[in-house]
Amino acid sequence: MIRYALTRSALLLLGLFVASALIFFTLRVLPGDVAQLIAGINSTPEQIAAIQQRLGLDQPLPVQYATWIGGILTGDLGQSMLTGTPVASELAQKAQVTIPLGLLSMTVAIVIALPFGVLSAIRRGRADGTALNVGAQAVAAVPVVWAGMMLVVVFAVWLGWLPAQGFPRSGWSDPGAALRALLLPAITIGVIEGAMLLRFVRSATLQAVGEDFVRTAAAKGLTRTQALIRHGLPTVGLSIITVLGLQVAGIIVGAVVIEQLFTLPGIGRMLVADVSNRDLLKVQGELLVLTSFVLIVGFLVDLAHRAIDPRQREAE
Amino acid sequence: MMPSLHLRKDHPRMLRRTALAAAAMLAAGALLLTACTGSAEPGPSETELTADPDASVGIRLVLEPGNLDIRETAGAALDQILIDNVYQGLVARTPDQEVVPALASDYEISPDGLTYTFTLREGVTFHDGQDLTPEDVVWSLTQVRDNAAYRDSARLAGVTGITAEGQTITLTLGAPDSTLLWNLTGRAGLILKKDDTIDRKTATNGTGPFTLAGWKQGASITFARYDGYWGEPAQVAEVVFSYIPETQAALNGALAGELDVLTGFDANLKDQIEAGGDFALVLGKSTDKGTLAMNSKSGPLSDERVRQAIRQAIDKDAIVEALGAGQTQYGPIPELDPGYEDLSEVAPFDPDAARALLKEADAEDLTLTLTLYNGYGTTVSQILVSNLDDVGITLKVNQVEFPTWINDVYINQDYELSFVLHTESRDFENWANPEYYFTYDNSEVQKLYAESVAAVDPDEAADLLAQAARIVSEDMAADWLYNGASVLAVASNVTGVPSVNVNERLNLAQLVKSTE
Repeated sequence: MIRYALTRSALLLLGLFVASALIFFTLRVLPGDVAQLIAGINSTPEQIAAIQQRLGLDQPLPVQYATWIGGILTGDLGQSMLTGTPVASELAQKAQVTIPLGLLSMTVAIVIALPFGVLSAIRRGRADGTALNVGAQAVAAVPVVWAGMMLVVVFAVWLGWLPAQGFPRSGWSDPGAALRALLLPAITIGVIEGAMLLRFVRSATLQAVGEDFVRTAAAKGLTRTQALIRHGLPTVGLSIITVLGLQVAGIIVGAVVIEQLFTLPGIGRMLVADVSNRDLLKVQGELLVLTSFVLIVGFLVDLAHRAIDPRQREAE
Repeated sequence: MMPSLHLRKDHPRMLRRTALAAAAMLAAGALLLTACTGSAEPGPSETELTADPDASVGIRLVLEPGNLDIRETAGAALDQILIDNVYQGLVARTPDQEVVPALASDYEISPDGLTYTFTLREGVTFHDGQDLTPEDVVWSLTQVRDNAAYRDSARLAGVTGITAEGQTITLTLGAPDSTLLWNLTGRAGLILKKDDTIDRKTATNGTGPFTLAGWKQGASITFARYDGYWGEPAQVAEVVFSYIPETQAALNGALAGELDVLTGFDANLKDQIEAGGDFALVLGKSTDKGTLAMNSKSGPLSDERVRQAIRQAIDKDAIVEALGAGQTQYGPIPELDPGYEDLSEVAPFDPDAARALLKEADAEDLTLTLTLYNGYGTTVSQILVSNLDDVGITLKVNQVEFPTWINDVYINQDYELSFVLHTESRDFENWANPEYYFTYDNSEVQKLYAESVAAVDPDEAADLLAQAARIVSEDMAADWLYNGASVLAVASNVTGVPSVNVNERLNLAQLVKSTE
């Protein structure tokens, strides 16, 4: 187990290093830079050159990369070239929207996927089971943007129950208002991610039903459903953890779209704005943090899997 | 963001009760605006409503500025909210584009046009509480003139002396400059505190009726009333600018009662925004020029006949109709600016004439690329594609991010056709600048423009500009697809929202939000 964790950590570090280089150099392919944008469309070449020099954009790329990595190794993620605000504090601020949004979305997804996934597996072959399965396929295929618009029209514009866009300026000091602002976006992402998750739960449950130990339990006198719940569902839980780990990346992508739609000041919206401002120091800091987050979640899922699953432990 | 919980509860009910007074209110607001210098004393029709001095007004804007540095960072997004509201100059401009005194109580121009004398107001304070002094004025103007990295620095280049004696500020020039006074109403003329240590990228310290109360990047900027303001204090406690690029999201926000004013709105959504009776669409003139730049340096577009054919192939009336607002414009100067004249006869819509010109120029079966910023939507480019197809020109549309546009089109001039909505007022100088991305170089136009700048009499200056503008249009230097309108949706209990040229200036000194 320890040897496994060490190997896996080394891989994680290597992955992060490669990611940092990829992020840095691919962003440099984008045409235009922040100095041109600051100077605008009534500028002279001298004005642009002066700003480029002030921001260090006239340095060779490898030097800029080394400066950036050097900063990161000392715990400095860099700062915005436009406002001078440190990337870390910007991320921390925007995370107050995006992390609760992600958790809420995931909760919605699980609340939908677990009971209905298991139900749809148990009722396989019957009308309601089939309807659930087909319904989930249909919902999973809905574009996030369209789903969000429909929910806004119904719950915000018609019924007036929830805000149509935006996040309270006072943030979480009024938790009720903040939560209400996130509810529609979270349902939008959660329902679609949940529909996808539902199909994983269903197939994992179906697989569990066929497992020897579930059949044995049934043979020892439990009903099929009792056997499934007591002995089958723990194995379903395992595959769900793996899938949820993978879905973290999906939820981040969903957040980028949904934060635009609902004008939520989160990480996704900030990222889009920073790319279109060519605030590359900030973008690369943000992307590195997001990439690390996804890689670390994957790392933890692997470790958790290893720790929970007796078959994998014994294989060592 | 808006305190949406509170507003949504009260707002619609309040709006319904005031619906009857709405028409009267709007009329009163319009009167105030045309009077433009009028202070917002309540008119007789407003007796049913009471201005709420504690009100918070939510205003939708489209583009969020990258930072707040009014000295160095380009972009109308900064001028729009910061000038007049937070920062002020010695003089300011009205919605009718007149120059009026601001931090100067009075000004005088010598008959030879070489000396400008301003009397600085007393009792003006910066938002940090410090008094405005003549030294602040001299320092501010000198800094802009001497620091080439500052926006509009070149506009003060001709000012040889900037001095103060008592409250009298004197600018002396080497040669007359008919644009100077106007330029002083813009960034070049803003008065900041001498040797201020604030970080201008994220903080402000001006003399205007509003202070910067907060900036939630990616969401909103909040202004609060400055109680120490030298003039009549603002009539609302707070203004919240929400940056919402998507028009549909803005519409939803307004219908849900979260916003009071929508700028940059789509006139085609008039029925939807007005359906509930709580909002009215307001159209105002602007200096937004929908400009189709044509790179005449090389290729088929270096042939004037091809450029004329393109102009005559495009149905400007159809574009204005599709946009639902605005008017046609056939030359470089819009109606609001000095030097405007109707140039519609220069290249009228005539596809047959266009085809004949293309044949004559031996330019049939032409393929051209239109490069434009992807934030502009597709209405205009779709009409261009179809109009040009009618005369045998295949138009490829290349939508790019704004930084890409700046790099490729503006700096490297690597383009054939480009569409840009130029919002800045009185920007004819770009046609007299052969280095500008328009690639237009005519020494006669440059001479006329220089004469116009040097003219002492404003009418003469405008006449010279008109002559130059006619040549630019006759040279087929570009095409002007439309003169945009400022399109706003305003809640019926809100008055004093400017409607003219709001992309450049959104002066909120007269803003009032009423309760019953």
